[in-house]
Amino acid sequence: MDYILRKAIKTKENLNEIYMEVSGYDFRDSCVYIYEKKNAILRLMFATDERPVDGSFRIYTVFSIPGDERLFIIVLSLKEPDMTFPSITPYIPAAHWYEREIRDMFGLIPEGHPDPRRLVLHDSFPAGSYPLRKDWNVIERDMKEWGEGKAVKEPYKFMEVEGEGIYEIPVGPVHAGIIEPGHFRFSAVGETIIFLEPRLFYTHKGTEKHFEKIGFTEGVRLSERVSGTSSFSHSAAYCMAVERMTGLDITENAKAIRTLLLELERLYNHIGDIGNMCAGTGLAVGYARGAVIKEHLMQLNERLTGSRYLRGINIIGGVRKDVFIHRDDLISTIDAVTKEYKEMMKLLLDTISHVERLENTGKLSNEIARKLGVTGVAARASGINDDMRKAHPHLLYGRLDFEPHSMSRGDVFARMMIRAEETECSISIVNSLLENSYKGGLVAEMKEIPPYSSAFGYTESPRGSMFYWVMSDENGEPLRVKLRAPSYCNWPAVPFAVHGNIVPDFPLCNKSFNLSYSGCDM
Amino acid sequence: MIKEILKNIISKTHVIPFPEGFRISPEEAAKGMNFQERIDKVFGRSLRIRQVDAGSCNACEWECTALTNPIYDIQRFGIDFVASPRHADALLVTGPISRQMELALKKTYLATPEPRLVIACGDCAIDGGIYKDSYAVTNGVANVIPVDCYIPGCPPTPVGIILGLQQLLDKLTGE
Repeated sequence: MDYILRKAIKTKENLNEIYMEVSGYDFRDSCVYIYEKKNAILRLMFATDERPVDGSFRIYTVFSIPGDERLFIIVLSLKEPDMTFPSITPYIPAAHWYEREIRDMFGLIPEGHPDPRRLVLHDSFPAGSYPLRKDWNVIERDMKEWGEGKAVKEPYKFMEVEGEGIYEIPVGPVHAGIIEPGHFRFSAVGETIIFLEPRLFYTHKGTEKHFEKIGFTEGVRLSERVSGTSSFSHSAAYCMAVERMTGLDITENAKAIRTLLLELERLYNHIGDIGNMCAGTGLAVGYARGAVIKEHLMQLNERLTGSRYLRGINIIGGVRKDVFIHRDDLISTIDAVTKEYKEMMKLLLDTISHVERLENTGKLSNEIARKLGVTGVAARASGINDDMRKAHPHLLYGRLDFEPHSMSRGDVFARMMIRAEETECSISIVNSLLENSYKGGLVAEMKEIPPYSSAFGYTESPRGSMFYWVMSDENGEPLRVKLRAPSYCNWPAVPFAVHGNIVPDFPLCNKSFNLSYSGCDM
Repeated sequence: MIKEILKNIISKTHVIPFPEGFRISPEEAAKGMNFQERIDKVFGRSLRIRQVDAGSCNACEWECTALTNPIYDIQRFGIDFVASPRHADALLVTGPISRQMELALKKTYLATPEPRLVIACGDCAIDGGIYKDSYAVTNGVANVIPVDCYIPGCPPTPVGIILGLQQLLDKLTGE
């Protein structure tokens, strides 16, 4: 690390975050150094418009090194009129989407990036609009110019595969099932997929800009509505970021409740996902069983918190309700669910036709997973033993005894088995949390938000690592809120996993990743 | 199973009540009975719904999926979710209608044969919900296509959606 620290113009430490600002010449070198020499994982990369503070844009590149609890942030500051920065994608492929997103949202150009197309904004958005710049405002634009209006558009060119017998299958954005919108373009020979290009961001709702508008307190409600099935992880990470920024320590009791609910969220997602994979192989009885267990857990959520999606519980400084008063209900429901779940897994693993469909389908190699910065279940199924609960312990995870699982085969079967192992792990975490009692009230008293301060919040959601970064302006209002959902890292890996599989197996592969469109599209 | 079917034939009850151990009151189940009679009358025994996600967070979709699980089992009322707008009587739209989905939603609406119904499901679909006035949304379904029925909730629970569909039937039968 001394190598980068020597080059740094400015350094700053806040809790476990180490910010190192480097010059434009050293930016790429520093990133490549930490990535290659220290084997670091690129967690996220984002830009900020800090022109109101000191007249510059900044690029933040966040790394974490295995075995080290700290987050290393390499910062590059850009002053107008120079609106370019050296792209790190040629060396660190995981940065490819982040850099395109920065170009779309801020108009900062990553020089040397292999893909010049837009990512987040579609053709209907007028060229030259950069929504996350502070001086950009929607009211100034004629709304009618969007969509089919006359404003200059930026057309999007799909990649084409040429050759004898290759044909294209376009799918979406409105799909056949009850799922979210996204466009997929398959290039296939017969039934075999040669190439798949997903085009996402149909559900782009301008969430990050909206966070800036509605303030920190109301932001909790918005963070719960970024991705439905990880509502609690999102709000927990967001609250953690704001709490760390203000130097607020939440009580042990609040930490225990958040840990418990994070595990309950993981439980209903993982069991639901294992059931959903059966829909991909046509095993109706497995699908129905998974759906029933999931419904049991959803109704438990409702009894505990009043919301089936664990919404409305988190607030900045703690939680609204004490769920430990429902200890008996929790114990009996979890026991019943454990029994049903074990029966379901026995049924699935004894059904050879189901297991055979899963084995060797949708293989994601360790090398590609590492290069693309894949996270969560997909990463652990491809041999990357990375879990935020262990890598950066937060809440009560530092005290709990559990081991993250990983498998090296990287196929759909591995992703199912990782979920199965994590389900059992979550059940034991819930049970051990229920054995103890915890000190303190529910909510810690809110402190004033210091001007121009920033901090990260993170957690391991059912889909993988999740990050929030918040920064306040001079009045203690949000200057920038960056969110990075796990699906954003995993979507680029899907085309690699389905390569060489048959088109009818695509839904199965897709379900084994179970990615959120809304979380990714922001 | 066979017992249930025989019981239904003998007692002429068409609907199997919600299973025990779940949070659904007997009154709600009783409403469900009457619900099916009216679906028989208005839609000739089958109401086919095409769900369109236009920027939702996915919670509303999962509640629609939950409707087809063995607990709620909405198919027993003659209602089902179909794979194409061409097969649908009604569109159930969720989400605040992101600008990038606006065109797709319009096209889906035009692909649905007339007479068609549009149900705006969830707070976002009603007026944009928490996303109201963001630059990338159009603040609700009604700004894009005409709406016949609103189901509030964030997300509406599966029972909430069933009750919402009942209200729609009330409107159609003039009750």
